[in-house]
Amino acid sequence: MGFKEFWEEFFRYKSGIAGLILLFGLAFMAIGAPLLAPTEAYENWLNDEYWVENPEGVPPTWAAWLMGKNLPGHIIMTDPVEEDHWQEPPPWGARVYRWVFKYDFYYDEPPKDLMFRVLGITRGEKAPLIRIKIVRPDEKEITITCNYKLSERFRDTNCISISVTGTKEARFDPLSKGATWRFAEKYETEENMIKAIGMVIDEMDIVFREAGPGMIFGDTPLLHGTYKFIITVKMYNPGDRFDGMRVIAAGKVYGLLGTDIRGRDLWVGIVWGSRLALIVGLIGSVVSTVVGVFYGTVSAYLGGIKDEILQRIYEVVASIPVLPILILMAAIFKPSVWNLALMMALFYWTGPVKTVRSMALQIKEEPYVEAARAIGASGWRILTKYIANQVLPYTFALMAMTVPGVILTEAGISFLMGGEIISEPTWGRILGDAHGYSKMWWWILPPGFMICLTGLSFVLIGYALDKILNPMLKR
Amino acid sequence: MGYGRYVLFRLANMFVVLILVTVISAALFYAAGETFLWDLVMSHVNAEVSAYRQQYPTASEEEIRRFKQEREKFWMDYYGLTKPLWERVLITTWNLMTFNFGKALQLRTPGGSDKVIDLILDRLPNTILLFTVGDLITMAIGIYLGMKAAKNVGSLLDRAISTFAMVTYSLPMWWTGMLMIMVFSYYIPNPFNPYEGLFPSGGILSPEVPPDPFLRFLDFLWHLTLPVTTLVLVSFGGWAYATRNIVLGTLQQDFVMAARAKGLPERKVLYGHVLRASSPAIATSVILSVVGSLGGAMISETVFNWPGMGNLAWMAIANMDFPVLLGWMYVTTLIWLLTLIVIDLIYGLLDPRVKVGIAVKGT
Repeated sequence: MGFKEFWEEFFRYKSGIAGLILLFGLAFMAIGAPLLAPTEAYENWLNDEYWVENPEGVPPTWAAWLMGKNLPGHIIMTDPVEEDHWQEPPPWGARVYRWVFKYDFYYDEPPKDLMFRVLGITRGEKAPLIRIKIVRPDEKEITITCNYKLSERFRDTNCISISVTGTKEARFDPLSKGATWRFAEKYETEENMIKAIGMVIDEMDIVFREAGPGMIFGDTPLLHGTYKFIITVKMYNPGDRFDGMRVIAAGKVYGLLGTDIRGRDLWVGIVWGSRLALIVGLIGSVVSTVVGVFYGTVSAYLGGIKDEILQRIYEVVASIPVLPILILMAAIFKPSVWNLALMMALFYWTGPVKTVRSMALQIKEEPYVEAARAIGASGWRILTKYIANQVLPYTFALMAMTVPGVILTEAGISFLMGGEIISEPTWGRILGDAHGYSKMWWWILPPGFMICLTGLSFVLIGYALDKILNPMLKR
Repeated sequence: MGYGRYVLFRLANMFVVLILVTVISAALFYAAGETFLWDLVMSHVNAEVSAYRQQYPTASEEEIRRFKQEREKFWMDYYGLTKPLWERVLITTWNLMTFNFGKALQLRTPGGSDKVIDLILDRLPNTILLFTVGDLITMAIGIYLGMKAAKNVGSLLDRAISTFAMVTYSLPMWWTGMLMIMVFSYYIPNPFNPYEGLFPSGGILSPEVPPDPFLRFLDFLWHLTLPVTTLVLVSFGGWAYATRNIVLGTLQQDFVMAARAKGLPERKVLYGHVLRASSPAIATSVILSVVGSLGGAMISETVFNWPGMGNLAWMAIANMDFPVLLGWMYVTTLIWLLTLIVIDLIYGLLDPRVKVGIAVKGT
């Protein structure tokens, strides 16, 4: 069958066309990954420091629209509306920097968090001091910190990072927690303050709601309008410097696919995961199918005692429980996705052996093979010219059908072993991280959906190829 | 080749395969777990030495050193580290072949037994319950739909089944399980208890099990629902599609035409003749599927926190408990190979055309 005729026949199958379209979409995603999602984010998938500014475990932006609510998006403010800088007279001679940022608040819910970051700060002998104040639309002021020192703890990160909710205590100074409480103290009833002891309070309610009794529980109406954040940094040593200042109003929704519990942008994982899935699936299936087809053909061709021996080896490998061994091997060798694919091929080559062997056995007995042998064709010639020629086209159908299995196994291994073996964000690994966070649908749905879609595209193509190329199904 | 010799040949063949699988697995596990076992020995010895120091505060360094050496030797012997790798592999293989599964390193049954065989026997019923129930429902639905699809080839139902089979072929069962848990244990509340989901998110019995056997049974069914539904959902499509193809193949045979020509009603042709002729192929798939599921589904059982065989294998790997893993592997492989032979032998007995060379392809 010529190349042209093959395609003509292929396009007669709707499933083949559908599979091809899906595959093109996936290939576009995989190849265009650096354009769709930043490479830097992918490389920093395991670096918590990189994701520190993102809100943790929030749904995608379009989810707000689904819920019919106007939820605050993720806003990073880097350009202050006012910027000031002056030198204080001796004896201290401190340099003072002052910025004012503006935040228009008109949403149906307060943001997830407010973060203030002084980036790339270096300190000399005397630590820089920082003062942060929020001026609300009703002119009331909350002083988050009035005399904050860059503590030793944060010295190696070179960042002053202050989160108002203090939920990121591992990396952010929780000092601000008291500030919001002190502000609430002024307007709340004593009764409510006592009630709030030991309760989980959303500090954002205190900042973004009208001051009055009940604000600490979020019972007062939201205070819409323009909020001002005033930040002052005082530096004492002549060599002290910093790279920038930013205020982050962490969103209640984020990006195209939301974030996971560590604040990672799931869109990045999904897009780059397509590359990994295709690499694993294609390498695994191509290698195992080629080996399996070769093995089956040769075994059938050799026949006799050699065939018996090859068949016993096949049976042994086919009887080994693959998943536990693969997981164990993965745990020990900690392979890259490439090597993981090869590891799978080590066991998956058994898949096509039986079918191909019986196919080759049948072809071997055909009269034309006998005729070729009679006129003295060499064994190698018969194997390549007559047998492989017939079996090879069908190999492509087998390859396509093997891909879903390989991808599912890889996903399963990544799911179970997670961070211990695979450092890249494969879809299985993202699902493994999501295990236990059953309410975050934006985290659980997309990776599995993509696994299913990738497998489906290959099944559809394989189904069409099987119909066209499988000599046994030929009508 | 006579039937007797055929049986002998198959059995000998199985035996060789079983030995080789065991040797290869044992070698892999031991090679893999070498460092882990060393760490285990060191942690035992260190714990004992510090206990010794507390008990005999006056002991000299020399005495402590001697005690340490002695304990080291003891634990190395215990884990067989004093012997070379190949010897350990052969001993393990022999032990497994003689059904001497030994003791687990860390895992214990709820009753506290550390025997590998007890661990397996503790888990096996749970897996059998889950998968047998699931498989039975799957087959009933699958075979029924498959017959219907074969009867009306090209109909809407037929195309729907083919499509559904393709979709579920690439659907991870454990992910479907996660979705089921998300929907039925978190988003849909329980009408009787607002703090719970409609179905439990995992486990086999509630923490405070009702003592009444009937209530216990209900509680068990309540826990069984989600895993079984998941299993049925992802596998009945494939079953229907396979049945359809088998039945379709039979439908093209001459005896069907003869039956129809006799004027038999279509119902009778289909269920009396076609299904009967297709039943060996279907029965084979049924048996292989049930037996193949005895090893449990590692990931799905983990998702549902179902204390079955798959979960046992995962616990064994996570805790590097090699005796358990080897025992698990041996039992599942043995059952699997035995089943293959039994099917093969029955076929050989029923159909003299089937002899060596046509083994049954696993599902």
